[in-house]
Amino acid sequence: MEQAIFSNIWWVLALPVFGFLIQCLTGKIIIDNLGPKIGRRVMGALAVLPIAISFGLGAQITAALVKMDEHHRTAILTLFQWITVGNLSIPFEVRVDALSMTMVLIITGIGTLIHLYATGYMAEEPDFPRFFTYLNLFVAAMLILVLGNNLALLFVGWEGVGVCSYLLIGFWYKDKANSFASNKAFIVNRVGDWGLTLGMFTLAFMAAIVLGKEGADPRWLSYDVLLPNAAKIAAGFDPWLLAIACILLFIGAMGKSAQFPLYIWLPDAMAGPTPVSALIHAATMVTSGVFLLNRMSAFFALSPTAGAVVAITGAITALLGALIAFGQTDIKKVLAFSTVSQLGYMFIACGVGAYWVGLFHVATHAFFKALLFLGSGAVIHAMSHNQDMRNYGKLLKYLPITGSTMLVGWMAIAGLPFMSGAFSKEEILLTSFASHLTWYGMPIGQIVFGVALLVAVLTALYMSRMTYMTFFSGDERWRLIPAHAHGHHDDHHDDHHHDHDHAHDDHHGPDVHNFFYTDAEMSAIAAGTPHEHHHELDGSHEPHEVPPSMFIPLVVLAALSVIGGGWLFFGVNLAEWLHSAGVVVHHHEHVESIGSFVTETIQRPIFWGATLAFIIGVGGGWMIYGKKLPEDDGMDTAKWKGWRKAAANQFGIDKAFTQGSIKGGNVLGKTTWSLDKSLVDGIVNGAGLLASTFGKLFSGLQTGFVRGYATLMQIGVAALLIYFVYQIVAVGGGGK
Amino acid sequence: MGPLTLTILIPLVGMILLFFVPERYPAAIKWLTILFTSCAFLTSLGLLTLFNANTFQFQHVEAFNWIPQWGIQYKVGIDGISIWLFLLTTLLTLLASIFSFYVEKRTRIYFAMMLLLEAAMLGVFVSLDMILFYTFFEATLIPMAVMIFVWGGSNRNYAAIKFFLYTFAASIFMLLGMITLAKHHQAITGVMSFDITAIQALVASGEFWQGTGSLQTIIFWAFTVALLVKCPMFPFHTWLPDAHTEAPTAGSVILAGVLLKMGTYGLLRFSLPLFPEAAQAAVLPIMILAVIGIIYGAVVAAVQPDVKKLVAYSSVSHMGFVVFGVFSLNQAGMMGGTYQQLNHGISTGALFLLIGLIYERTHTRLFKDYGGLKAQMPIFSALFLIVMLSSVGLPGMNGFIGEFLALYGGFMTAANGQYGLSMIFPVIAGIGVILAAAYLLHMFRQVFYGPLNPNLARLKDLKPWEIGLVGVFIIFIFWGGLYPNTFLQPMEKSVNAVRMMTINEPGMRPVWNDRSQEIDDKGNLVRISDRTPDGSMDTDADVEIIAPADFYTKK
Repeated sequence: MEQAIFSNIWWVLALPVFGFLIQCLTGKIIIDNLGPKIGRRVMGALAVLPIAISFGLGAQITAALVKMDEHHRTAILTLFQWITVGNLSIPFEVRVDALSMTMVLIITGIGTLIHLYATGYMAEEPDFPRFFTYLNLFVAAMLILVLGNNLALLFVGWEGVGVCSYLLIGFWYKDKANSFASNKAFIVNRVGDWGLTLGMFTLAFMAAIVLGKEGADPRWLSYDVLLPNAAKIAAGFDPWLLAIACILLFIGAMGKSAQFPLYIWLPDAMAGPTPVSALIHAATMVTSGVFLLNRMSAFFALSPTAGAVVAITGAITALLGALIAFGQTDIKKVLAFSTVSQLGYMFIACGVGAYWVGLFHVATHAFFKALLFLGSGAVIHAMSHNQDMRNYGKLLKYLPITGSTMLVGWMAIAGLPFMSGAFSKEEILLTSFASHLTWYGMPIGQIVFGVALLVAVLTALYMSRMTYMTFFSGDERWRLIPAHAHGHHDDHHDDHHHDHDHAHDDHHGPDVHNFFYTDAEMSAIAAGTPHEHHHELDGSHEPHEVPPSMFIPLVVLAALSVIGGGWLFFGVNLAEWLHSAGVVVHHHEHVESIGSFVTETIQRPIFWGATLAFIIGVGGGWMIYGKKLPEDDGMDTAKWKGWRKAAANQFGIDKAFTQGSIKGGNVLGKTTWSLDKSLVDGIVNGAGLLASTFGKLFSGLQTGFVRGYATLMQIGVAALLIYFVYQIVAVGGGGK
Repeated sequence: MGPLTLTILIPLVGMILLFFVPERYPAAIKWLTILFTSCAFLTSLGLLTLFNANTFQFQHVEAFNWIPQWGIQYKVGIDGISIWLFLLTTLLTLLASIFSFYVEKRTRIYFAMMLLLEAAMLGVFVSLDMILFYTFFEATLIPMAVMIFVWGGSNRNYAAIKFFLYTFAASIFMLLGMITLAKHHQAITGVMSFDITAIQALVASGEFWQGTGSLQTIIFWAFTVALLVKCPMFPFHTWLPDAHTEAPTAGSVILAGVLLKMGTYGLLRFSLPLFPEAAQAAVLPIMILAVIGIIYGAVVAAVQPDVKKLVAYSSVSHMGFVVFGVFSLNQAGMMGGTYQQLNHGISTGALFLLIGLIYERTHTRLFKDYGGLKAQMPIFSALFLIVMLSSVGLPGMNGFIGEFLALYGGFMTAANGQYGLSMIFPVIAGIGVILAAAYLLHMFRQVFYGPLNPNLARLKDLKPWEIGLVGVFIIFIFWGGLYPNTFLQPMEKSVNAVRMMTINEPGMRPVWNDRSQEIDDKGNLVRISDRTPDGSMDTDADVEIIAPADFYTKK
């Protein structure tokens, strides 16, 4: 019976919660009793298992869903009434359908691999259970986000993953820079959440007005109330209101999915441990914006304005992220900006009305980007936690498994035909070119197509830059570093770090900030600025391949990066599959805002175009970076110096927003506070003083506010009493 | 003697007994206080089990003549709005008195003041006679001011006097308003009465304010300003940061947890139901103040150098959400505002308690003296994190539900274009939620993150009893966020009744002392012929609709 299978969804949801509780309540006790080595093994297993079982159950449910008739592939299960007030009812309900289960499989599948990897990566971390407490909680929150059947539950997961991201970015909290990065992530995300809240209120308002008078159940935020009635709800109002509602929801997506200008938190978020970057800041959490647009596609499809805003924002972000990636020398930063760029790519698809294509790219990107991040983590692990690519080179020889899997990831993201990334990228190019979306006469689809094609070239190029600098190109450059050249040293991984605290604190000032390469820092720390490391990288270092717990996930993800795209496209037929969950699919039904569009006729030219972009990018990369690093300490500054610096500094965007808001907020706060003390409170104290002076006329006794207030009171009371008595007498008992 | 009077009397009896315990036995004084506050808490819990959530009428009503010639009664009763505040009072006083084991200076009078304060606060929330209400309302001032004055910080003198006189001066206007209402009642019916329900019955029929011109507006503001000072609402908030900074920890917990709620409770009990037309006209100015307060409190909180002042200003912001919700005059919004009272009491009470726990160890509240505490006190930091996130309004915790509903209600009212509100109100109020994250995370970062401040290297983590104390708050934080219906259901009908008393036309308004009226499950105001023995509406009996539910209006 299907219903019995579906009720397993509660286990999918509950297992990560149990994992979280086990980690946070028993983690310390178990490790204290079993010793750090075995204890961490046990806790690691207890962290991986719940997610793995969740994945198994999720796969079972999905299999049952596949067998069902296309029109009945949605099940809604209610656990309890969460919020009930007269005109709004929000049950705790989950929705099992093709879209949510696709996300569940991505989250728990990739989640299992990354948890496994993390047991190896964090093996020397003294705060081991705290890490997995946060990580398991993250999976639980992410599952609520995708499984919830209403926007309020989505919001629960939305902020839940946000807070886990906050805690994990600041996991190594002794470094002040990490704590700044974590605060920034949460606060910037809250800006997005503000939009999401207002957006869901707008939709609820529209639904309540249209459906409320019919005496419908006031579940105004539930998908099964909103989505089937989308056209009816939208018809009741001016199109602008729908556009505003959709744009507000999209602001939420901009925050979580790092779209311009709210992308600024994501690069800093790389301060977190690398498995976090892979799971949260590449594969799952940052794609929830695309999920939201897919979920609400019935509304977005009705508003060409919203579509244009989404597509243009996506295009700007894709281009900006790709350009900034060239300025980065930190391997994780390159991947971070690559993620920003690829997220923009997904929104290009969503904007032009091809929502499922956006989700397709979410899936393939999850495979290859998780692979690249985990691979970069293995490289960093092997290079004594030095993250500067200028110190790498020829690493393929030392790291054969890591290296070859990362080469697969590189090919997938660059778009080698028939690899996973190529499939989804080609679909994005195809649908944006074919789209009929126009806005104020502008052919939005074709404009963003042009940008997307350019970004495809750039992507292949900067990923080639990263790959060549790390695994090929000339010398083993870390051999050039003299021994003990470093001043900065963080003992995050030291088992006895409590004993070392003081020595370590004296070692460097409180504000060594190693996330931005300014000129001064660049010369001071030219040899690299590690922030998660055991010992320094120097010429005597021999890189070693990582343990099996770390390379098994790499191999699995590499396999998925090769075949995943084709499998989802041909095997699963993702468009039809998601269509059964109510996602608007462009070639399947008429999309009100842009009409339906067919892509068959232009498929061949687009394929060749995308392949050409791949060849230009990878070939160009080989010419610039293949043989050796360009001159000047590995910065290819000779020709592109100014431009490169601008890219490294994110063209000043981050600085303008971050510094601007911090400084502006500080000035605003201080000014307001001084006004509060002088003016607002001043009036109060002034009144007291005035009255006390006045009181002295009568009593001539003591000074002080007591007397002042008392006198003021007497005068006030007297005046008011006279007034009231006059009123009462004048009115004389009103109606009678 | 009914259960309400009994609960009020328990702390009073305890206070009297305290005076027979010599000052030299502080442990006995402390345990005796805890015994009596526990009894009061248990009694109020018993009251909750007796509470009937299916009626908006007052329950456990007791009435005796007090000064008959002036129509003053001892009249108490409880409904869905006051039941939770009543429980919050007994709970917070119990927890605050347990924390006060740390107090060593003049213990007897300290604990006597605490018990007196509890009795007065309990009285405020159940009084149905205006003079009785006023007596209790003012009676809370004395013990609180004494607590600040004797056990406070360095600037306690100024803070105590300011607290006392500011709120006292403001409430004088309320007293005048009350006398006017009673006189006016006499003018209509021939007898003077301070009975809230009697006056409300006349207001509901439209008789009371008929042909009185601007009198309704004047008295409305006399009440409302006094109550807004108590909330406190911008620009009447300046007594609060001083009082909080100087108050001892238990005083801060009770001040933030309960005393501020007397203001918003008064809005629900007086300002809305007794002055419907004036209240509707005042929605716009009060919402402006609420929105300013939300942003203003948050902006000023963000630059405070002192942990307690930061939380004090955050209270201005959070109480702004309560008023925002209540004055949205939308069912969800009013429920959110009413619920947010409890949440703020729990979250901010817990924050002050945690600050008190660390203050007892370090004797400083300045951020510059902290840093890196997470490594030194992991349990304390974990508990602080949870409480801080609840104050941030993280979904799954109590603070979210209240703020979400308050914003929702304000949004719906504004989207409908009612009472002159525009969309800018919820849009700006929503920014307060962003700012809340900014200043609270800023606080957390400065205290707990970064390298450990060497001065803190000897600090010990929380003791088990301290963990238990905070644990109680944390249970309510998650309970209130995960299953808010426990708290929302009992208040639903009472809040809806107040809403309909305010926005409905005369004659279609619910009446508190008309036992034939009830609100059914769909939200209609109905006249019923019979009640079941427990006081609920009998669904089999004849039902006549007085006013239909009107949740969805469009201009």
